Amino acid sequence: MNLVVQTLVDGLVLGGIYALAAVGFSLIFGVLHVINLSHGILVLIGAYLALVCSQAVGVDPLLTMPIVMAVLFVAGYAYQRLLIQRAVDRSPFGSMLLTFGVALMLQNIMIWVFSPDMKNITPSYAFASFRIAGVTFDAVRVSALAASLVLLSCLALLLKFSPLGRVIRATAQQTLAAQLCGVNVRHVYALTFAVSAAFAGAAGIVIGIILPFSPADESLWTLNAFVVVVLGGVGSPAGALLGGLLLGVVNTLTAQYVGPSFPNVTMFLLLVLLLLVRPNGLLGNAFSASR
Amino acid sequence: MNTSSARLPLLILGGALLLALGPLVLPPFYVRVGQLMLYSAGLGVAWAILGGFAGYGSFGHAAFIGVGAFTAGLVENQFPTLAPALLLLLGLAAGAGACAVISALVAYPILRLRGTFFAIAMLGVCHVCAEVNNNVDFFQGSMGINFAPIAPASMDPAVFFYWLYLAASTIVLLIAWAIWRSRFGAGLLSIREDEDTARMLGVPTERYKRQAFVISAVLTGLLGVIYAHALGYITTDSVYRDDTNLSLIVFSLLGGMGTLFGPVIGAFLLVFVTQVILGRLLDFHLFATGLLLVLLVLMAPGGVIGLVRGWRLRRRSEMVPAE
Repeated sequence: MNLVVQTLVDGLVLGGIYALAAVGFSLIFGVLHVINLSHGILVLIGAYLALVCSQAVGVDPLLTMPIVMAVLFVAGYAYQRLLIQRAVDRSPFGSMLLTFGVALMLQNIMIWVFSPDMKNITPSYAFASFRIAGVTFDAVRVSALAASLVLLSCLALLLKFSPLGRVIRATAQQTLAAQLCGVNVRHVYALTFAVSAAFAGAAGIVIGIILPFSPADESLWTLNAFVVVVLGGVGSPAGALLGGLLLGVVNTLTAQYVGPSFPNVTMFLLLVLLLLVRPNGLLGNAFSASR
Repeated sequence: MNTSSARLPLLILGGALLLALGPLVLPPFYVRVGQLMLYSAGLGVAWAILGGFAGYGSFGHAAFIGVGAFTAGLVENQFPTLAPALLLLLGLAAGAGACAVISALVAYPILRLRGTFFAIAMLGVCHVCAEVNNNVDFFQGSMGINFAPIAPASMDPAVFFYWLYLAASTIVLLIAWAIWRSRFGAGLLSIREDEDTARMLGVPTERYKRQAFVISAVLTGLLGVIYAHALGYITTDSVYRDDTNLSLIVFSLLGGMGTLFGPVIGAFLLVFVTQVILGRLLDFHLFATGLLLVLLVLMAPGGVIGLVRGWRLRRRSEMVPAE
């Protein structure tokens, strides 16, 4: 019984982090209709930046978050304006291949700079843990989950109540109508991308605290983001959260009860099953963008 | 259009005969590069039957290379005493059969998705096949499978496989040409242009898509079987490769998406660039491939064929000045 609860708790913690890592991907997909295959790289850039910053200054990795998010915000804005905007309205392959090309280049640069080895960020409380009712909670994982939930709530509030959020939602619903109302669509696209990149970077820090990472991991995080978005639904933090939690629980349950090498199999079987039963994702409308 | 397209098979066969002379004059290194070019061209054309004609670009076709190769290996090892030629035929039949069954099963759910969703879902299919293959002992994915040598003793295996790839890729290209000019091919093109309208006008889009998917998968599987024999020993990692998944898209994009010869041109060009020009710069490889992709999307979205067509159009409009 304890094992089941422990597995579920671990899954939920992992799922919160999956959700944070996927929310930017979901936003870009919902607003720009671009599959950003360089998303995983943005996550890893966040992790490496946090590693460098926290080693240089000697502060807690979570405290480097404002710097990392600011850097990625600016980089994301420039990346969208200079490269992706040129491919947005071409064939669906265009933007996908462009972002894949960028991902390959950045991965190669990361290998040159940081070596292909596994790295991890160890905060001071790395080995602390506490028990509630027989279930173990690592301090690291709990703080990672808390950071994820806070950030996701912030993004949800930003989208719901701020003027920027309103403009982003308007562009996602009806690009032409938004344009007619005086929205500068290119600017909004770039801002959306910048916000997504910043959240990817934040996710990178949280991931860096609890898991080891290497430049080759980028495809894993891109793929996870895609699965989370398909499970949950496109374009909303709530959908990403639901999809992420589901993925996390399924992953840990499979690893615990079926075998440690099978999470990908169950993940994609679940995906196909869901596509058959509920092709719109659990929340929202995942496939309007693909038609 | 019709007369010139009816002459195409002669052109294809002529080109194949010319290429068949390659190993007689080329140094051994270039015979190997030629092998890779022909293999890639065949895969590219097989991919394009679904990805180029019908517009369903798959990001996971390496799944069928792997399924074909492993099925062939497992079946062939049950008959160690067969003659080499029969062994190859048996392997080809088994590989093609397995690919046909799996692709027909996968087609139902997967083809409900469109565009990028389809592409990434196929990547998922590829990863699932690879993991099952690697983790279930029966498939021997992590241990690897040996293939009996099938090249005649009197012949250099490199040359033998060059000709085998050439024959296979020529057949794939001829099949693609036959589809291209048939009613079926026109149906696939209409799906690419506007699937909903095509369906409204009475094109059996679901059936056409499934057929194209299965044909594409089977041809890919056949090439995979030959590839496995050329390697002689395969593991999961050597056939289910993500760089193959990517290259298949790039071949079409580089040559010209949705054209018959686009993937061939693209495969020849890309293999030449990566093997001959970048062959000595391994640290630089990912970066160069990425840069090539980015430049390609930004500068030549229609590929080589697109560039040539644009250039021809411009020249024609210069020759006939508007009055």
